[in-house]
Order: sequence, then structure tokens, then C-alpha cells
Amino acid sequence: MKTESPLIRFGLAIYLVLFFTYLLGPLVLMGITAFNSASFPQVTPWEVFSFEWFTTLFNDKRILSGIGNSLIVGFFTVILSVAMGLAGALMLTQIWPKLRATFYTVIIAPILIPGVVLGISTLVFWDRVNIMLGLSDDSFLRNGIFLTVLGQATFISSYCMLVFVARLQRYDLGLTEAALDLGATHVQAFRKIQLPFLMPAVGSAAVLAFLASFENYNTTTFTFQDYPTLTIELAQKVRYGIDPSVSALAFIIVVITVFFALLNEVKTRRAQLAIANGAPVGAVSGSFKMPGFFSGNPAAVVLTLFVAVVVGTIAYSQFYDPEPAKAVLLKEKRAAQQLRIKALQERVRLQRLEKKLKGPDIFGSGNSKVPQPPSKSASPFGNVFAPTNLEKAAGTNKDEKKPAPKKPGTSAFGNVFAPTNLEKAAPKE
Amino acid sequence: MNGFMKEYFRRNGMLLGWTLLFLVGFWVIMLIILPQISMLDFSFRNHLPPPEMGGPKDTYTLVNYKFLIFGAQGNEDGYNKVDLLVFLRTLIAAAFVTILDLLICYPIAYYLGQSKGGGYIRILVLLLIIPYWINEILRAFAFRIIFGDSGVINEFLMLFSIIDSPIDFIRANIALYAGLSYAYILLMIFPMYNVIESLDRNQIEAARDMGASWYMIHKRVVIPFAKPGISSGCTMVFMLSAGALAAPQILGGPSSLWFTQLIYQWFNQGGNWPQGSAYAVVLLLTCIVIVLSVMRIFKVNMGDIGK
Repeated sequence: MKTESPLIRFGLAIYLVLFFTYLLGPLVLMGITAFNSASFPQVTPWEVFSFEWFTTLFNDKRILSGIGNSLIVGFFTVILSVAMGLAGALMLTQIWPKLRATFYTVIIAPILIPGVVLGISTLVFWDRVNIMLGLSDDSFLRNGIFLTVLGQATFISSYCMLVFVARLQRYDLGLTEAALDLGATHVQAFRKIQLPFLMPAVGSAAVLAFLASFENYNTTTFTFQDYPTLTIELAQKVRYGIDPSVSALAFIIVVITVFFALLNEVKTRRAQLAIANGAPVGAVSGSFKMPGFFSGNPAAVVLTLFVAVVVGTIAYSQFYDPEPAKAVLLKEKRAAQQLRIKALQERVRLQRLEKKLKGPDIFGSGNSKVPQPPSKSASPFGNVFAPTNLEKAAGTNKDEKKPAPKKPGTSAFGNVFAPTNLEKAAPKE
Repeated sequence: MNGFMKEYFRRNGMLLGWTLLFLVGFWVIMLIILPQISMLDFSFRNHLPPPEMGGPKDTYTLVNYKFLIFGAQGNEDGYNKVDLLVFLRTLIAAAFVTILDLLICYPIAYYLGQSKGGGYIRILVLLLIIPYWINEILRAFAFRIIFGDSGVINEFLMLFSIIDSPIDFIRANIALYAGLSYAYILLMIFPMYNVIESLDRNQIEAARDMGASWYMIHKRVVIPFAKPGISSGCTMVFMLSAGALAAPQILGGPSSLWFTQLIYQWFNQGGNWPQGSAYAVVLLLTCIVIVLSVMRIFKVNMGDIGK
């Protein structure tokens, strides 16, 4: 990259910034909306910093039961997928060479089949089996958890299979042969030799399977029956009216994700450091020494800071009270409303004035008493501040008592959120 | 075949051999093949109430496929224009999303693949993966916050008086395209990244020494080499966006349906399973045909998918 011209490097820098803004910006903004007390998830206008949406979230029974169902489904899906994925990968290494390509196509296909199709086919097939076996309508074959686990495992097993295939490529079959020659049974050789070698792959396949199961929507939406998972509940919530408690949930998930990502990074780096220093991994990772933990491992520093911030925020949320700040905001809103009403009154008065001045010439005197409704798009202060208007207005004060019509809808508070007002509205500690 | 089975059990033993066979058999037959066949079979049947299933009326018919093409019986129009249009639009939009993702992701895959690693690159990769761990629904939700009437973009544009009234990004489907390309970025980057990483830097150096321009290096050296990764990424993104359901439901405009939404309606609102199955079969077959022909054109093997 060093030989590139400065122009290309500059372009690359801009591209990287744009790319990561696109990638992370939505998540950051969503996280911010979780702390805005406004009842619609929004960053602007900013109302008051508050934790109330987290409280709402933790009191939402449907979300909580959704999490419960997701965990149950995830648990069984992980077991089934890891087992089938491993079996598929082992079979792939042994199968009759002529069949191998076909077999690979069949077990990789679920990744490419649309999730919707997998959900439908699972539902239809087990419904058929149910009818064929003459079971009742509420038999276990129609149970939402059973169907969801099978539907998800169909394609998640393929992901797991890919993970195992990658690991198996580095496995020396001679090891199993040696164990067998030394008198181990096949099961023993598998359990003591091959499985320990595959253990890291089992771990990553399980994590992958759980994540895929937890966030699956397309397949689950056809199979969940009476057991909506978290994703289904979220989708219902998002489709029919949204509120920032969804943002709060997203924020929690992002925090958990970042935590585990950092944790993983710390572990990897420590292992690398250990190898670089010539020490076995266990020697370094076994003992927890404060200075050693941080030395040359920026990820560890970031992780510690991150945990400190999260714990601090949670502690802060326990005694933070947004009410005073909210009261201030309410006051400001009222003040702004007053201002707005006054401005409207002024404008209506001016309009009448104008009418009066022009009226007799064009429409005759009869029209002059009808006030024109304020137009929606015009600025609320209209042309109050135009110098000519002031001069005109100076003389007459007759119509001042006429109440101005309130503007409909949310736009009535429009100007409250001008940048200067934001500073005023910020919580004062 | 017999010898193969003997060899198989000699290598694995009885218990382990049968366990493997059972697991693989269950997966391949009960989860992959039979459900698909059963869906295909179901799509050729009449829509009947449960008691009449298996009765004399339960015969094979083409009525469900006819409905997709010609519409309801007695339809004077000739063709089921509404559904066919949705179908066509879904495919075109999915192709559009795929191309968009390819354009967005190629530079970053090249940059990551050709840089020499190190902490900085590791952090970039970490940042790439984090959004992928967030729920699909939540990602779509984030885009709805951004593109809504009082979303960040509209508020921002109005603050600087670039526009007077909010732009309806949702109705214009901009939110949908942005959300879909966002959802599958990672699936595009990683296959390309893996291939480009294995490209010898000396090849690029050599091309540059011989006077090849920046454009020619990519056209003649990098892209031909990265072709398996590119087509693998494109296949996955195309299939997934054509089969997406959550993003169109959340981000789609009121007047533009996604084909999967039609299927969803037949199942969950219409209650007409055979009709929904027929639509699902059409979607599946079309996707397979498109992917296979693209693979044929670019001369890529099935084995390259999923690497």
C-alpha cells in the first residue's frame, strides 16, 4: 500500500470512514435513542436523558417470555445442529468419492434455500406426518418448539458442518488409526483422540449455532405456533407501533456483543503474546497478574474501561432521576408554547390589519372581519419583523384580544428544539 | 457399494458408524429432502378443509400455479399482473442490492486482504463482525429510526434547510435497499476477503512494475483471481435478499410488497397452504436457476460456495 499515490490513499481514508459510518452509525444512533425520554425513538429533538425505557423493557412480559422461548429453542438447536453438522463433516471425509460432490451439494443447499421456504416445508411436512400417523392436532409434532428447532437446525447444521470441515482438514487420521492399533475401541478413539482435537471447532460451531438460532426470523415465523421467540415478538412490536424500549434492548445486545468481542480479542492477544515470548499458553493465561494482564495488550485495557463504564452507568441509573430535568423541559415547552401563541396572535392581528388596509378597495368592507387561517408552511413569526409591518402595526391595537387558533400536530413545538434551546434543556445536575 | 459399507464400519465401528449414519440420515432425509418434496407435493393439491384431505377431492391439480400466472378464475385480464409484478420486482431489487453490496464491499475486502495484518486490521475486522451479531429485526429497526419522517436524516436536512418537508424514504424504498444491503454486507466481504488474502502480493507488484495502471491491476490481476469469492458472495447475498422477509416487512413502503410477503400472507392470513407452497416453490426454483446460470457463466463450482 505504501507505493500508492497520496490521492488514492486519501480516497481510501474517506471510503473507510464512510463505510464504517454506514456500518456502525445506525447502531450508535439506535443506542442513543434508548436514552431519550421522547416516546418515539428519535435522536432529535432530544428531550431528557433517562433510563425509563429500560424499565419499560424489563417490565414487558411478552419480551421476557420471548427471551425464554428463544433460549429453549437455542439450546436444542445448538445440540442438534452441532451433532448433525459434525456427523455430516465426518461423513464427507469418508463417503464414497463418487457421491461426495452430490452429498456436499445436498448438505450445503439449506444455506442457499430461502429461510421462508425452509419454514414452510418443515411446517407442511410434519403436518403431513402428523396426519399420516393419525395423531391429534395438539401432538408434539405440531408443537411450536419442536417445529422451530427442526426448521432452524436444517440450515444451522450446514454452518456447523462448514466449521468442522475446516478443522478436520488439519486432522491426521493416523492418530485414530494408532489409537485403534493400541487397542482402543472406536468410541474410545473418537472420544479421547478425535473429539479433543475438534473441541475448539465444537465451541465455535455452538456459538455460531446459538447466534443464528437466536436471531432467526424467516424460518421461525412459520413454525413458532404458540411459542413466539424474542425475534418474533420484536418483529410484532416493530411492525405495529414502535417505542424506544426496542432501542433499549438493542443497546443491551450491542453492549453484550462488544463485551464478548473484546473478551475474545484479549484472549487471542494473550495467546499470541505467550507464543511470542516462547511460553506455553497455559502459563500465561493461568495466573492473573495485574501488570502482566495489561502489558502490551491494548484490548485488555479497552475491555476493562468498557466494563467500568457499563457498571458505572448501571450504578448511575439506580439513583438518577430524570424528573427535575423533565420538569425543566416541560416549563420550557410551556414557555415556548406561550411564545408561539403570542406570535400567532400577533400574526392574526397583522393579517386583519392588512385586510383592513387593503380590504375596502378590493373586497369591500364586509370581508375585513374574517380572519385568515394561518398557513401551515409559513414560519410562525411570519413577517412580523418586516420593518414595514412594524410601522403599520404601530398605530392600531384593536384586535389584540382575539385568541389565536392553535396549530395542530407536533409541529407546534417546532422551534423549541433549535440548537440553542437544546443546551438549556439539558439536564442540570 | 457393499465393499464401501464394510470399509465404513471397519473404520468407525458399529456404534459410532450407526450413530453417524442415523444423524446424517435424519438431517438429509427428514430435514432436507422429504420436507422439500412434501412442499412440492402440497403445492399441486387443492385447498381443502382438513377433514376432506385424503378424500376423493384430494387430487393433483395445477390450480395454484395457474393462479400465480393467470389470476383468479374468470379473470378477464389474462394474467395475474399484481403478483407477477411483485415477483419480478423482488428479483430485480435483489439483483440491485447484490450489485450495490459488491460495489460497497470490494474495496474493503481488497484493503483488508492485502494489508499485512496487525492490530489495526484486527480491530477493523472486529468492527465488521459486531453489527452481524445484532438481531436482523433490530438492524431493520435502526434503519427505520434513521429514515423515518422525523428520522435523523430528515431532521438533519431540514436543519440546514436543504429540504422544506421530510422526504418519505420508506415509501421511496430507499430505506429498504439501504437496510437490505446493510444486512448482508458481511456475507459479501468474507468470501472475497478470504480469496484476496491468498493472492500473492508479488503479482500486484509485478504488474505495477510493468507499468499497469491502478485500474488495469484490478481488472487483469485481482478480479480474475477473486472470481470464486465474488460469485460466492453474490450468490449468498442474492439468495438471502430475494428470500428476505423481515426487512421488507419493517422497511418496505406500503405500496410495494416483497414476494416473500405474499407467501407469508397465504400462510398466516389467507390460510391457503397449497397456494403458499406453490409460491414458495416458484421462488425456490427461480433462485436456483438464477444462481446456477450465474455460476455457469462465471465458471464457479458449487464447492466454492460457503468457503
